[in-house]
Amino acid sequence: MSEAIPNNITDNMTSNRTVAILNTEAPFSSATGKESLDTALIFGSYEQAISLFFIGDGVFQVIGDQNATEIEIKDYLKTFSALGFYDIENIYVCRESLTERNLPENFHISNIQVLSNKDFSQRLHQHNVIFRF
Amino acid sequence: MQQTLALVVTTPPNSNLTTSAINLIRAAAKSGVDIVGVFFYQDGVLNAAKNLSIPSDEYQTLTQWQTLNREYAVPLYLCITAAEKRGLSDGLDKNVASSIDSTFTVSGLGELVELTSNADRVVQL
Repeated sequence: MSEAIPNNITDNMTSNRTVAILNTEAPFSSATGKESLDTALIFGSYEQAISLFFIGDGVFQVIGDQNATEIEIKDYLKTFSALGFYDIENIYVCRESLTERNLPENFHISNIQVLSNKDFSQRLHQHNVIFRF
Repeated sequence: MQQTLALVVTTPPNSNLTTSAINLIRAAAKSGVDIVGVFFYQDGVLNAAKNLSIPSDEYQTLTQWQTLNREYAVPLYLCITAAEKRGLSDGLDKNVASSIDSTFTVSGLGELVELTSNADRVVQL
């Protein structure tokens, strides 16, 4: 009986766990963007609470009208449309990162929330685990 | 209550971040933390390559992983999709010999979900 109590506490802690994936790299210079998206979809398929964050060059991953068929790489950007299927709806983009790169708020996926540095940071820190890609 | 820790290694064997991960795991294990597993993803899968020969005066990363696995029973999980993308093979195809060290457990991203939900703390360097 005395052992059952700490186990219950652990279960409560882990079941409420939220995971953030922080994307910091442009889409096609390496496999990072695709491997990050694969991770998000797996967490989604296990019905874990997961949010996506895009900052720095990571914001290039969500910009619309990109044509990857011009280069020798798999166009994984199409796979972003699967996020909705797994109910991954918390997607945040850093406004300052867009401004610094002179990028319009023209995205190839819906549900994106553009946040200021401060709000972006606050939202990120509401998560228990952060994976950086 | 014993604390539990999971690690995610995304850097190759020649990265100093990998060395830091090894040092962190050893320090945590020595102080009584239960290491529920190390997950190798992205270029981190190259840590499992068994046919690499590193000059003897360099840091022997694979030997370090084998030692951690032997001394502290730290499970080492390898993402096979990321590994195959980088040319490693688990030897299931009869025509290709395995290039993965037997200390590593071949698995997939689902294992990362398991580790993340089982560990009190998850660390990625």
